[in-house]
Parts: sequence; structure tokens; C-alpha cells
Amino acid sequence: MIRTVVVLFAFAVLLCGLIIFRPFGEEDVVTQDPLGTPVDDSVQVTRAATPDTDVSAIADVVANATAATPVTAVIEAPRRVDVARPNTDDTRLSDMTNNVLAELGFAGVEHVTTDTEVLRESTSDILAGIEAATGQSSILQESETLEAIVIAALRAGESDDAIDQIVNTAAASGTVAIPEILVTSDGRVDTHVLLNNIVAQAHIAAGGAAPAVPEITPDNVQGLEVRVVQQANNDIQARFYTVQSGDSLGAISIKFFGSTDHYTAIFEANRGLLSSPDRIRVGQRLVIPDLDAI
Amino acid sequence: MYKTLATATYILAVATAVQAQDVRITTFKSDSTFSLNGITFTVTRDQNTDAILEGEFARTARACPPDCLQPLTLASGAETYGELEVMKFLETTVTNGNGLLVDARTPQDFGAVAIPGAVNVPSVTLVPENRFRPDILRALGGVDIAGGGMDFSNAMELTVYSGGVWSNEAPAAINNLIEAGYPVEKIHYYRGGVQAWMHVGLSTISSSNPG
Repeated sequence: MIRTVVVLFAFAVLLCGLIIFRPFGEEDVVTQDPLGTPVDDSVQVTRAATPDTDVSAIADVVANATAATPVTAVIEAPRRVDVARPNTDDTRLSDMTNNVLAELGFAGVEHVTTDTEVLRESTSDILAGIEAATGQSSILQESETLEAIVIAALRAGESDDAIDQIVNTAAASGTVAIPEILVTSDGRVDTHVLLNNIVAQAHIAAGGAAPAVPEITPDNVQGLEVRVVQQANNDIQARFYTVQSGDSLGAISIKFFGSTDHYTAIFEANRGLLSSPDRIRVGQRLVIPDLDAI
Repeated sequence: MYKTLATATYILAVATAVQAQDVRITTFKSDSTFSLNGITFTVTRDQNTDAILEGEFARTARACPPDCLQPLTLASGAETYGELEVMKFLETTVTNGNGLLVDARTPQDFGAVAIPGAVNVPSVTLVPENRFRPDILRALGGVDIAGGGMDFSNAMELTVYSGGVWSNEAPAAINNLIEAGYPVEKIHYYRGGVQAWMHVGLSTISSSNPG
């Protein structure tokens, strides 16, 4: 009896030791470089066709260097790699884009209040309260916004590459917060999607049609896998997409649905994998929902 | 006749005096007076001995999470205060301009009812993700250090409260302050919060931030 107890106890101690020290466990690899690897241009982002009148000016600025972006091979990164990510906030990309267009003087585009502006407003209320209590004036320091950076760059006629450089430098230094869906699997800012969205929203503001849902097959999209699930009456096509280097949730949304508007559908379908829209990692296998079924 | 009147007046006066001192803060303390940037506040207890709590703070059940019971001493080690310590803090540290009573609830809750002299700093604005947090920390006396981080050696002493012993807003605010580098010895936790304050009939205010 005592021997049995002793043996069981020894086994329990050994088991606890194994759980605590994990001699066979994988180790987390942390990449320190906040900029990660260069943007992978194999991400096929469909751009809205350049429309007439107003939009063409921006579209030119935006498009002139796209072709020149260097193409790099997809880098095979090990699983469980976590990269440093830029600061994000709750501002929606569509709101931000809208305000860029409004600032650039697009007819019919009105400024909307972004979440950042709401937060800023409440912060200045708090500061006013503290100021009233202490008698010491406190100033809300002006920090750069992504909106202002993009507007300045577009006005200056910067190329896509230059804008990518400017935005990523600002994001890496932590001075600007960016919308979550622009964070790529490498921890960079997906300026490709940012600029694409500006062109697309400008197109719609000018009376153009919303971008069409592109034809997607495993042949023209790397990382896509289509499986047919058989059910009683009909077959259901399930689509899975393996996150590539340089992908952001916005880019994936454009890839499958033509615009960034449907990123929430992808995010909701993958809640188990993604804690937030900016926590996207190379090698994650995302379910691509069928929009008709939602 | 005069004697009767005098007696009546005397009885009335005594009755009033007794009435006025029926509900004191302590035996030797009937009120707490302090000032905040030139504005004077006086806290007394409700003299109506039949008064009972009504409304929001009479509630006994709230969904947990998020509204879960809090320990007497927070894991961070911030000193816990009761009502008397809060009043002493207001009378000395706050009146001298070296401290602030912080209400960590939402602006709506703060506007509805708050402890006199409190300043509203919602706990959600102290999370690391808030890009405006450094501005708030600077307002509390933090000074930027070259190369990142902040120096809080001259920062305000804080007493933080929220709804009650069931409320996690004050503990969350305290944890985030400490995480940001605020010295734990400069932070006190009034665990009872608005509910305990109101439960003993102490004066409250309903307004926005003072001033």
C-alpha cells in the first residue's frame, strides 16, 4: 500500500516537473526588427480602374510607382513568430480615408469624427478637470496623425514607395497610431491597402460603382485552398487562406471581396485564431467566409 | 408666561443643537472641510436618521465579470483607505496642492454622483493603448525623461476610487498607473468607493469636473 502511494507520488512530482520545465517545448522566437521584412508584392491587390475627372489626379500619384516596387520572394517564417507591431487605434480605415479625401477637397466628402478624435476630446476633458483641481495648466501635446502624414505626402506628389517609407518610419518610431487592419503579418503598415482604399473611396465618391468581388481560384491566389464539404443535400465550398508574408487583414479583404469593407466578416469567422485584427501572422490558416451566406 | 416662552425657546434650541449633531463623522468631528485650487468643500453626514439608500447604489448584484469583488489590499501593494483616511487626505494633501482624489469611473457615472473634490480620470484612459495617456500622466505631474519613460518623483499623490468594493475600475486604474511607472507609495486605494461613501450618508456632488 505505502509502496503504491510512494510510486504514485514520485510519478506526480515527475509530471509536475515536466509541466514546469517543458524540456521538449518549442521556444518563442521574437523578431526585434519592427520593420520586419520588406513588403511582399506578390500580394495581388486589385486597384479600382482609374475613373474620370477628380480622381485621376490622386490615382496618378498613387499609381506611378506601383509597377516599380521590387518583387521579393515569399519568406518562409517559422510558426509562432511574433513581431513588433506598430501602435494601433480604433479609427476605422474608411473614416480615415474619408477625412483624407475631405481634406484634399473632394466634392461631396464631409469630415467625419474618428474614434481617435473622440478619444482626444475626452482626454482634453480629463485634462481640463485636472487643471481645474491643480491650477496648473496642462497641454495636450499635438501628435502626428496618419491622416496628416498621408495628406502631406499625397500633396507633395510622393511615390507609393516614398509614402510606404514615410508611413513605416513614423509607425516604427511609435509616434502615430494606425488602423488595425493595415498591420501586416510582418508588423509593417500596409500602405498598399491604405492607398488602394483612398483610390477606391474617391472613385465611389465621384459616383463610380463599388469594386466588384474578384474571381478567385487557387491558381491565381497563392495560399488559397478550396475544400468541398459534403452535406446531406448540397456540397459546400469552404475556402481557406494561408497568411503570406506582407499580408494585412485589409489586403486579404481586398483580395477576396474587392474592398476593405468586409474585413469584419473575415475577422469574425476567425475569432479563434485572431485576438484582434492586427494580430495576423504568417502561416495562419484563415477561413474565408462566403458573403452570400452571411 | 415669559418663563414658559424662554423654556420653550431653550428646549427648541437644545433640540436643534442635538438634531444638528445627531449624526457626526466621529465623536469629535462633525464635518470635513478642505479646498481644491481655491474652491472650498464641506463634507457632512446626512442628519436624517431615517434615510436609506435608493437607486443605483442600493443595488446588491452586478454581473461579475466585470464587476467583481476586490481584495482589501491590492496585489500592487497600494495602501487601502477608508472614509476617514480619504477625508484626511482631502484636508491635508489635496488642500496643500500635493494630491488628487481620482474618480476612475466613466464620465457619465462621475457626472451622476461623485465624492466632493474628486477629479474624473476614467480607468479606460489609463490603458497603455491610449496614445493620449502620456498627456494625462504629464498633467498628474509626470515629467518626460530623455530616451523614454517618465519621472514621477514630483507627481501628485493619488487616492483612487470607483463604484464600490465590487468595482474593478479603481484597481484597473491603479495597476495601469503603476505599469506606467507611477510610484506605488504615491497611490492609495479607497476600496469602498461611492457606494460606501453614500452608505454612511456623506455629502456627494453631481456635476462635471470641478471648475
